[in-house]
Amino acid sequence: MAKPLVFEFRGNSVEAAIEKIDRTKLYGYVETEVQDDTGKRCELATLIGDGHSIVGKGGSAIAYLSADGHWRTRAELQPIDVQGQPITPVKSSFDAPIPLGETATIDDFLSHNIHLIYQLLPTTEVSELIEELRSGTIFRFPFSYRGGVEASPAFLLLSADGVPFLCVGTLTAIEFTGPTATAPVVDEQTDGADEEDALDFSLV
Amino acid sequence: MAEINITDSKGRDAAVIAESVRVPVRVRWVDDSGRQVSSTRILKGTIDRDYSALLEKAGAPEKVADALIAGDPELDLEAAGTFLRDTSRVYVNSDRQVVHAISQVEVVRSPDGTEKLRRPKKIAVTNVSGDQPLLWSGKLLPKRDVFNKFAMVSKLQVVHVNGLTYDFLFGIAKELEEKKSLLVVGAGPKANQPLILRRGAVPYRGFLEGRTRGQEYLLLLHLSNIELKVPSPS
Repeated sequence: MAKPLVFEFRGNSVEAAIEKIDRTKLYGYVETEVQDDTGKRCELATLIGDGHSIVGKGGSAIAYLSADGHWRTRAELQPIDVQGQPITPVKSSFDAPIPLGETATIDDFLSHNIHLIYQLLPTTEVSELIEELRSGTIFRFPFSYRGGVEASPAFLLLSADGVPFLCVGTLTAIEFTGPTATAPVVDEQTDGADEEDALDFSLV
Repeated sequence: MAEINITDSKGRDAAVIAESVRVPVRVRWVDDSGRQVSSTRILKGTIDRDYSALLEKAGAPEKVADALIAGDPELDLEAAGTFLRDTSRVYVNSDRQVVHAISQVEVVRSPDGTEKLRRPKKIAVTNVSGDQPLLWSGKLLPKRDVFNKFAMVSKLQVVHVNGLTYDFLFGIAKELEEKKSLLVVGAGPKANQPLILRRGAVPYRGFLEGRTRGQEYLLLLHLSNIELKVPSPS
C-alpha cells in the first residue's frame, strides 16, 4: 500500500491513504479512432517547417535557452517568483504531518478551480475528524504530491455522500467589479472648420 | 474573453462577457546570471528513424542493435536539435504517410474498459452565445448542498459591457446571493443541456454564483464535469 498522508488534528495523528478519482473511474471514457480511406489506423504527428519531415510521439523535447540563446540545463536554473525572489522548493506532503489548523469558507473553496480529487482511505481512527467535517468544516492546507517548486491549495472535506475527499486546486483571479467609469467626451474648441468639412459634399 | 448570452429571473436576456480567471504563471526560471530563460521545442528525431522504421529496415531487433552499435541510424545529425517552428499537426497512417482524408469514430467505454458504443465523431458547437440565450432554469441549489457534491473544475467571471448590463448582472448577483444558492445553468430550450463554450470543447454543467459588495458584484459561472463521489464497485 502506498505511503499514507498524516494529518495532525487536535493533537492526534490521523493517517489516510489517498486514491485518485477521475472521470474515467466514475463514468468511463471515450477514445477516438482515426482511419484513412483504406481503413489503416492513423495517429497525430507533427509536420515540421521543411514541409516533408514528420515528428512522431517522443520525437521532440523542450530545451531552455538563455536570453542570449545559449542552451541551459534545468539543473542550472533557479525558480523565482514575480517579485524576483528565489523560491524555496517544497517537500512532498507525504514527508511530514499536515496540521489541520486553517479552515476555509464555502466561498473560499468555490473561488478555486479543482483539478485533482483524491478519496481518503483512513488507516487509523478518524471518527473525531469525520464528525468535524460532517458539521461542514473545510480544512485548507498546502499540498504537493512529489514535492517541487510550489505547493497547491488543498481542501479536506466530506462529500454529500459522507466520504472524505482531498481536493487539490488552483486559486483563480476573480475580483469584484463595479459600474465602469467612462471618461466624458469633451468637445475641443474648434473654429468650425470641422463642421464645414462635414457638410462638404465634395468629400462624399 | 467569450460572449455569453444569459437570461435573468424576469426573462430578460443580454449579451455579456465571460472572462477567464486563470492566474498567470507565477514562477519564472532564471540562469546563473539572473536572466530569465525561455523554453523552446527542439527536434530529437523524425519518424523515418524511429524504432519501428529501423526495425522495418533491419528486419529483426538484434539487427537494429547491431546497427546502433555500428553507427547512428537513429540520428539525423543535420536536423537533430533544430528548433521546431512553423509546425503543423497532421495525421499519419501505419506506413508513416501523411493522410489527407480521415474518418473518426468515437469508442465509448465503461470504467472497466468494456466497449459500450461506437459512433461517428461529431464536433460539438458552442451553445452559449448564439441566438438562443441561456435561459433562467429556476433550479436553485443551496451553496451548502453544492460545494461537496460537484467539483468545480473551471470557472468564468461574467462581467458587464455597459451601464445597462451592469444593472442586469448586479441584479442577478444580488438575487443569487440573497438566496444563498447557485443557479443551475444549462443550454437549450429547457436549460438542461451541458454548456459548450467553444467549438469542439469539453461539455460542462454550469452553476451561476453571485456575490455583492456595495455597488460591486461578482458573478461566477462555475463549470463542472465530475461529481464528488466514489466509483461504484461494479
